[in-house]
Formats: sequence, structure tokens, C-alpha cells
Amino acid sequence: MRILLVEDDIPLALGLQQSLRHEGFVVNHVTNGKTAISALSVPDQDLVILDLGLPDIDGLEVLKRTRDRKLGIPVIILTARDSLEDKVKGLDIGADDYLVKPFEISELLARLRVIERRLGTAKSALIICSDVAIDTAAHKILIKDEQLIASKKEYMVLKALMENAGRIQSRQQIESRLYEWGEEVASNAVEVHIHNLRKKLPEQFIKTVRGVGYTVNKT
Amino acid sequence: MSIRRYLVLILLSIITLMTFFAAIQGYKASMEQATSLFDEQLVLVGKTLLATSATYPDQATENRLSAVTVVPSNHIAYQVFRNNTLLLRTDNAPEQLITELPAGFIDLNFIGQRWRVYIETLPDEPTQINQLKVLIAQPLEQRFSLAEQVILSAVTPIILIIPVIALFIFMAIRQGLKPLTVLRRELSEKKINDLSQLTSETSTKELQPVIQTLNLLFERLSAAFSRERYFASDAAHELRTPLSVLKINVHNLQMTQSEKLDATGQASLMQLGQSVDRMAHVVDQILTLNRTNPDQLTMTVTKLELQVLLQQVISDLYPEIMKHQHDISLESQATTIYANEFALLTLVKNLIGNACKYTPNGGQILVRTVVDDHSFTLTVEDSGPGIDSSEYQRVFDRFYRVGGDGHQSTVVGCGLGLAIVQHIVKLHHATITLAKSMQLNGLSVSVTFPQKTQAVDLYLNQCEKEREDNR
Repeated sequence: MRILLVEDDIPLALGLQQSLRHEGFVVNHVTNGKTAISALSVPDQDLVILDLGLPDIDGLEVLKRTRDRKLGIPVIILTARDSLEDKVKGLDIGADDYLVKPFEISELLARLRVIERRLGTAKSALIICSDVAIDTAAHKILIKDEQLIASKKEYMVLKALMENAGRIQSRQQIESRLYEWGEEVASNAVEVHIHNLRKKLPEQFIKTVRGVGYTVNKT
Repeated sequence: MSIRRYLVLILLSIITLMTFFAAIQGYKASMEQATSLFDEQLVLVGKTLLATSATYPDQATENRLSAVTVVPSNHIAYQVFRNNTLLLRTDNAPEQLITELPAGFIDLNFIGQRWRVYIETLPDEPTQINQLKVLIAQPLEQRFSLAEQVILSAVTPIILIIPVIALFIFMAIRQGLKPLTVLRRELSEKKINDLSQLTSETSTKELQPVIQTLNLLFERLSAAFSRERYFASDAAHELRTPLSVLKINVHNLQMTQSEKLDATGQASLMQLGQSVDRMAHVVDQILTLNRTNPDQLTMTVTKLELQVLLQQVISDLYPEIMKHQHDISLESQATTIYANEFALLTLVKNLIGNACKYTPNGGQILVRTVVDDHSFTLTVEDSGPGIDSSEYQRVFDRFYRVGGDGHQSTVVGCGLGLAIVQHIVKLHHATITLAKSMQLNGLSVSVTFPQKTQAVDLYLNQCEKEREDNR
């Protein structure tokens, strides 16, 4: 994936480039808003990492002009502005994600991977958590390379959990994923699917966080 | 002492004192005048008596004497002697000679009274025959009472008018001090952290410089305060980018160089990473502390789902909770509340974050909510070591950490979390209670929020207005 990095702080940009290249991304770096806008006029990038406090044009203005030109390129804002209003504003103008400095590089990489999967440019369609893997291209669940037979809804539930491995998915969040799929969901449907999945999956793979939701561990 | 009371008291005292002195002076002067007037009267009566007595025969005294008794006894008394023999007397005068004094005035006592006596003898030479001596006396008491009556009638109106004068003085002073009262009221109505300019207009020459100076002072103070207030957050903000650079480079080192390092090198690298994380945490907490300062954050509330909010915070913190292998559970029902979202998120994050940090690995954390008509209570309990009740107050101090610097150094923290929580509690007019957890034996932190506050009413009114506007 080709990334346009718009960041005026040179040491930060150098460090970021090194991390991103190490992960196999191709990075172009520009240091101001004007260059960023002209670079975006050529459809040469897959994603933009955008700093807001640029020396010439504010990052939000760059984003606005990009969206005004109907460019749907994913944009991740990376900024020191951490107030709730700033976040909401950035996302409203059309950012796909918003990260506040100082950020965890692993979090930035995770979010890049989410966008990559969405764009379908990921090299691998596999989501792996310990012994369990999901092949999102083939819609298959694999346990130690053996295919597991599961219903489509069970697959959706597990995918929702594994995509967000290490985080908790509430019953409502999982339900909304099932709704997306376009079917009526019974009130205890999620519990039923989880119950069925647990019978097929290794013990303690899906954990219940009482009162909050369900989670699977990353490793 | 108030200026008004001081002025009223001092003016009244002066007026009363002066009136008193004036009355005494008047009394003295009137008395002197009355004395000379009465004395003249005595001389006149004496001379007349002398003239008429000259023609009296020595004999037939009986008739004469009875004739004179008509003179009112308590007003005047006299004796007339011819050649030292009593010729005439009033019956309130003794038969003996009152005094040997040949002529002039004298004050003396007889018949239980004090008298003013005038004596005249005719002819002057004592050797001559047919010498007439007149002694005429008037009671002194009568003179005094007459003088007193005169003075009293002059002084009484002045005494009576003193309360009226007092009233007028009081009113005049109050009116005169009105600009001061207005200024005082404006100052006392100012909130403790309100450094805005004074607005009271005054035409009083003396107060104008005071107001100007006060306003100048307020301006400088408010500038100084905001400089101080923003300094910490500006500094913290400026640290964000360099911290990011540090983080990335540590990450890059770990990714690419770690295999080339020996054990000590790798340990150093890990220490470096942890320190950077710790610094990032402190910077973040300082910013939050400043942002949640009740002086800074304008309290706006929105409609929130308490349970969803708690689920969200627990989800956000779950990686950390997983790292400690804590068992966390949430006991709550779907509840709609009105609160400041940012503040409430920060509060819950800090409370659960603390429970997570200070509970030994594999511990338990319980988040509970209790809702009634007037309030909702949020409780976070843990199975950690808890806090000694003697430290309950101090843990809210900025940068204070239980156990001081010898604090479990493995726990990343800076002692700002509960100070932030305290800010948010104040902002919501809520109450916070620390206690020993009955269920988990660790610390139990409860925050009780009132359901109805001014901010909530404001928000609901706004919603109502918007709804009407839409119609």
C-alpha cells in the first residue's frame, strides 16, 4: 500500500517512515499542505496520514479540499489536538480515523491494516488469533489448518470478534454486524451463536466480560 | 467599624456634647441675670419700705403688724427696726435682728430656708436718733426655680430635636456613602475566580481612582492567572510531538536492532520504552487535569447512556486489563443520564484504570451502578490492597501517591488521576466516597451524581426550545 505522509516535523516523519517501510508500506513524505494537495491530484496514493498543524494550510483544510474534489482516499489524521471537539470535527469533515500524538505505533499499524482489509489491498486475507484463523476471502474458519464447519451467522460473529481481537465487542455491536447482513435478529441470538461457537472452538477462546461483552485474545 | 456607624456616632456625640455645654453656659448666664434682676427688685422694695416706715409712729404697732401679714409669706420677708426696736415684720420673719450687717447683700439661713437678704440703714451714722433699718429677704430657692424654668423652656426644644438631627445625619451619610455601598455590593457578588472588570459607574471623584486601580489589578491578575493556567497545558502540548518521535524511534530500535543487542542492551531498550510511555502518560494526565479544571471547563451536559458509556470505557481499557489478567465485570442496567461526556468518560477511565493498575495480577474488578429518582451512583471495587483510611483525603492531592516515592515503581502513574476525578466530581456537584470494599476486600470508590442540576435543566430547556423551533 502506498502512503502519503503529510507531516512538517522532520524527526517524527523520518521515524514514521522507517516504521512503515519496515511493515512493507511505500511512503511518500511531504512537509506542507500545498504540496500535499498537489500530490493528491495524482491518483498515486492509497492512503494519507495527515498532520493538522501544518505550516501553510491547516490539515483540516487539506482534508476538506480533498473531499470537495470527491476524492475518496482514506485519511488518517495524526495530530497533537486531542479535544473531543477536534476529533468530532476531523471525523465529520471526512477523516477515516483520528490518532492523537503521542500514539502507539502498533495502534497506527493496526488501523492501517483495518483500512487495508477494507480496500481489499491486503496481501493476506487471514485473521489469526492463536490456533484459530479466518480466511476472509474464502469465508472459512480454520483451526490448526483444519476447516471448522460453522453457519454464516456464526462466521460473522467470530469474524467480528477476531477482527477486534484484544478488544471487547458488546452484544449490541455484534448484533449490528448481523443486522448489516440483513436479517432479523432474535434477542438472544448472539448468546446462542456464541454458545454454539464455543462448543467447536478451543476452550476459553471466546471470553465473556460480564456486563460488557465478548472478546478473543490476539495471541 | 463601618464608616457610616463611625460618622453617625461621632457627629451625634459632638452635637449632644455641644448642646450640653451650651445649656450649662445658658444656665449660668440666665442665673446671673436673674440674680441681678431680683437684687434690683429687693433694693427697690427696701427703699420703698424705708420711705414709708419713716412716717410710722412707734406706738400702735399691733395694728400695723397685722396689716403687713398680707404679704405672701413664702415670697418675701422683711424686718424694719427703728433705733434697734422692731417696728415692722412679716410673719415669716423672726423678731430678732437677722444680721448685724449694716448695709448690702448677704445670703443666710433662717426658718429652715436660705435667703438673699438686703439691708439698708437710714441715716448711715449709727449714733443718730431715729435711725431706720430695713432687712428684706427673698428665698433663694424661689430664684433658682424661676431661673430654671426660663432655661428649661429654652433648652428643651434643642434636646427634643437631637433624635431628628440624628435621623437626618444618618440619611445624609447613607446617601453620601452610596457609591461605596454599590462598589462593595459588586465586589461581594463577584465569584472567587471572577477577574472581570468592575462595571459600576461612579461620578464620585474619590472612588474613580479606586475603581480604576481595582480594574487594572484585576486585568493584571487575570492575565497572570491565564498565563499560569495555560503554561502547564501549553508545555504538555508542546511535548506531544517530541514524545511521538521518541516513541517511534524506540519502536524502530526494538523492531530492527533488538537482535543485535545483548541482554543488558535489550533491558535498557525496554526501560527506555517504559519511561517514554510513562512520560506520555504524565503529559496526558497534566493536559486532562487542566482541561477538567472547573474554572476552565464550561459545564455542558448531553444525554448519555450510562451502561453503554461504561461498556465503552471497559472495552478501551481491556488490553490493559488483559495484561494484568484481571477479571472485570459490570453490573448495570440501561440508564439514561445527563452529564458531560468528556468529563464522565475521563472519570470512569481513571477509576477503572486505577483499579486495574493497583490490583495484583489476576485480581477482580467490579463496576456497579445504582440509580434512583434523584441520583445515580457509580462504584468501582477491586481486590487490591486498598488504601488506608488515613490517606483518603490526601490521595486527591495533585502528584500525591500512596507510599510516597517508594511507591511500587512498576506501576506507571503520576498521582494526577484522582485529582482529575476530583475536578470532575466538583463539576457535576457530585460526591465521592472511598471505602473498603465489602465484596472484594480492596478499595471501593463511589461517585454519586445528582440527577437534577442547573446544567441539566439548562440542557433540557434548550432541547425543549429546539423542539418548538422545529415545529
